[in-house]
Amino acid sequence: MREPLLHFLLVGAVLFGFSAWNNRASHPDIKQIILTQGDLEQMIIAMRAQGLPEPGPGQMRHLIDARVREEVLSREAIAMGLDQDDTIIKRRLVQKMDFLAEDLSALRDPTHEELLAWMNEHPQDFAMPPRVSFRHLYFSPDEHGAKTRDTAVEVRLKIKAHVDDSTGVQALGDPFMYQDNYSDRTPDQIGAIFGRPFVVKVFELRPGTWSDPIQSGLGWHLVFIDSMTPARVPEFEEVAEEVKSAWQAARRDEFKAEAYDVMRAKYGVILPSFESTNKPAMPASEQLQDD
Amino acid sequence: MEMNKKILAGAAVMLLGSTAFAVPNPEREAWYGETHQHTSWSFDAYIFGNTKATPEDAYNYARGKAVKHALGFEMQIEQPLDWMAVTDHAEYVGVIQQANTAGTPLSKTGLGKKLIVRDPADIQRVLRLLVGSLLSNKPIPELVSPALASSAWDKNNAIANAANEPGKFTAFNAYEWTSTPNNANLHRNVFFRDSDHLPKRPFSSFDSQAPEDLWAWMDKQREQGIELLAISHNANLSDGLMFPSEVDFKGRPIDKAWADLRMRNERLTEIKQIKGASETHPLLSPNDEFANFEILSYLLGGAQGRFATIPGSFIREALGNGLAMQETRGYNPYKTGIVGGSDSHNGASPYRQTNFFGGHANHDGGLRERMAGHVLGGFDVRALNPAGLTVIWAEENTRASLFDGMQRKETFATSGPRLKVRFFGGYDFDSDAFARKDWVKSAYARGVPMGGDLSAGTTGKSPSFLVWAVKDPSSGNLDRVQVIKGWSHSGQSFEKIYDVVWSGERKPDYITGRVPAIGSTVDIKEAAYTNTIGSVELKTVWTDPDFDAALDAFYYVRVLEIPTPRWTTIQAREVGILPPANVAATVQERAWTSPIWYTPTAEARKTARTGGVSIADLRKSGVTSFTDAELAELVVGKDVWLKNAVTGAIFGIAWETGGQRTFRNINPRDPQPQHFGFAAEDSYLGVSTAYTISNGRIMEDFGDAPLSWTAYKSGDKTLLARSDEFGFANYEVIPVPVELVDLASVKR
Repeated sequence: MREPLLHFLLVGAVLFGFSAWNNRASHPDIKQIILTQGDLEQMIIAMRAQGLPEPGPGQMRHLIDARVREEVLSREAIAMGLDQDDTIIKRRLVQKMDFLAEDLSALRDPTHEELLAWMNEHPQDFAMPPRVSFRHLYFSPDEHGAKTRDTAVEVRLKIKAHVDDSTGVQALGDPFMYQDNYSDRTPDQIGAIFGRPFVVKVFELRPGTWSDPIQSGLGWHLVFIDSMTPARVPEFEEVAEEVKSAWQAARRDEFKAEAYDVMRAKYGVILPSFESTNKPAMPASEQLQDD
Repeated sequence: MEMNKKILAGAAVMLLGSTAFAVPNPEREAWYGETHQHTSWSFDAYIFGNTKATPEDAYNYARGKAVKHALGFEMQIEQPLDWMAVTDHAEYVGVIQQANTAGTPLSKTGLGKKLIVRDPADIQRVLRLLVGSLLSNKPIPELVSPALASSAWDKNNAIANAANEPGKFTAFNAYEWTSTPNNANLHRNVFFRDSDHLPKRPFSSFDSQAPEDLWAWMDKQREQGIELLAISHNANLSDGLMFPSEVDFKGRPIDKAWADLRMRNERLTEIKQIKGASETHPLLSPNDEFANFEILSYLLGGAQGRFATIPGSFIREALGNGLAMQETRGYNPYKTGIVGGSDSHNGASPYRQTNFFGGHANHDGGLRERMAGHVLGGFDVRALNPAGLTVIWAEENTRASLFDGMQRKETFATSGPRLKVRFFGGYDFDSDAFARKDWVKSAYARGVPMGGDLSAGTTGKSPSFLVWAVKDPSSGNLDRVQVIKGWSHSGQSFEKIYDVVWSGERKPDYITGRVPAIGSTVDIKEAAYTNTIGSVELKTVWTDPDFDAALDAFYYVRVLEIPTPRWTTIQAREVGILPPANVAATVQERAWTSPIWYTPTAEARKTARTGGVSIADLRKSGVTSFTDAELAELVVGKDVWLKNAVTGAIFGIAWETGGQRTFRNINPRDPQPQHFGFAAEDSYLGVSTAYTISNGRIMEDFGDAPLSWTAYKSGDKTLLARSDEFGFANYEVIPVPVELVDLASVKR
């Protein structure tokens, strides 16, 4: 048995919240299970939380018996080594280590200078998407079938004169199920309405003139760009909160990685031999088994 | 004062200018989101091999960033979501929570001070402290005290709060209550309206496996000012327990209090997710040619020697049973709205056939595992399918507005694509309602949206419905829009599917009235399709041609896309094999709305056509049910002809002496109530089923659930009753007919 006490402490104590190890019995053959006032209160709270009335003496007895049974069996199981090589227990413990590392990494607040520096190092993480304002004429495949694009081309020729104005032009298209004008929209917002390929084409257009027919997921369109705002990196003040949470996320990953490295350094790993096709690269701390 | 008003007005204008589309829209917008996402913090996700994806990763994925699958590849959403809830299982985080007395936060303890990290050197110091302790087997008491370990629920909420950006992206505080008695899925996701009012710990299935206890706990929370709601999911895997009609989980008879408790807390149910659809089943809806869609029946964990029960496991049947309960008992526990979800355990979900990467980490994440039909806990992963979506009609993208939309049941689900559908019911819509630019505003003023209740009409006028659907610009065109109607009479619930608007020039079938199939452009070998058939937009004003003001009814809309390749067909091409034969090669993606209900007034009920006789009334007049001997005398070795008192349909049953019975002469055009299955086909093909007589009942089985007949003598009439018809004897024994069609009564 490797490190039975460690297993006991982590599984028995952490998972089930007992504090028996602090109160070892003096008698070597009798192990003690100590329930505190707090433990009993918790049982009562749990009953209340289920909308049940306060437990009476009989029910309290039952709860205590169940609790003791849980503790006895889990301790005995651990003593028998049933926790060993149990994937569920192992993974749960790993997860708790991760949580622990996360908690510890969150104990420090970054300084203003650190955040500024962070933003300067990762400007693209905070970039604001481009925005576009446009009007469009819609040509519906439900109306024109295979001739939809042709219809759009005809209308485009008709409105040549109206290059910088849409007045009176809207009636030349079909009624569109959503809006005829969109102002200040991001690529994601336009994509949600018209589909991705349309977004790419719209952001390639120049403002101030009607476009040639462009296909969307809903049909064909003539598009008139009113204005276009390119993508930009915002001022720090605009995104201070995001920078802080990005910094914290990076700290957390860093801390977890470092914590792992320190612990990992205490282990050597021995692997079986591999067939040549899938033999992994070997770091110094790993070696192949002699066979 | 005047000054202040001006400033405020100015501020409002500026706000409008900068965020024109973040202003609440009184006509409501469709917000697409995810009700059901697991991360590595869920115990089972961890076991599946997802050891890394955190709730933060899940929110990042929802907002469009690429995240890593457990197997190392990148997952990226095709189109970011408007909102999401990470719903990790309460269990295990819950049990640790439970052990936690209100402890001192770690940072205030002596150890906490030692652990505070100020600069990089501190990290090393802290690690030495921790690792040294572990290796010397000397625990640090503060660390193993639950004060630290308990914080998963708090952390989950903190992450949701950080991800929540009102007007841009909503992240709900939520968790999953994971009750799985005997491998049956009774799971519910629990959502909270705001982060200022959250319980100290979630109610987990360790607290109780009974849904009634969860709802009672929710009631308690509400009394303390915590607004919350529950969404049931995977009814298809519930072994018949999701929608019971006689007794609750604890075996107590269902009553009005139970129905009220359920409806107070659980107004939504999930119709489709990665583990199958729960709308209906071909056996329950034999006349619905689109019912066979992503059916997945099994028991969680692959229980040996048992199979999932069909009745009680599907939503349309529950909606129908709800009407029958309203009619016969005066309450309806199943006025449920419709949502969709993923239940992915990857911290990220695929919503499209073209982007399917499974939902269970290592078990279905690899192309080869998937296409080899890996068996995961009792089912073949090829039966999995992309996640569903929930769409909420709400004024703005905030927790409060979306939560209220869910409580109104103003929701619809899609099988994954971004279909959009509006549905209003009322008595006052113009036939050209859609000609108005402001038709939505007018529809809200004159009717009720999906999830609502039609007022009882005063004149007996048939209700009409505005139905509007638009395709997903990145998916297939629309085939048709259907209204699915259910109604109840004498405890019999019926369903009928109306094609209300469809693409192209198709003519409805002369006899059935159904619009023929649209055909397919799918090239299965190439796993490709074209949008050369189907419509972009379909809309109509539809009036119920069969409305009966005396009967309870529900109406919901189903929108169907044209056929497109299923993910298995696409990935079969990638690995160079034939598409698997155990799942469909193509699918018709779809959307389902929450229903609109019609409930008659007491006056209107009195005008109902004559139906069956209530068994309670028979008993009051001294009638007793047949004994086993009387039942045997009535049926065994005989052909018994019956007339359904509600529909007037006549049919026979041959009860063989060997314990098999077979329907005779069931007319496929006669409407059949619930649980007759493929009766017309069975009667034509001579497919029999077993029966036994015991305890005053003729016992049979339907869809792996018991169903029985009882018999009564009322005057000179012999009446049969089915156990699933809510206390009505609806079948009169009639003489063997000489002619089945009364031609004299047919109008020419």
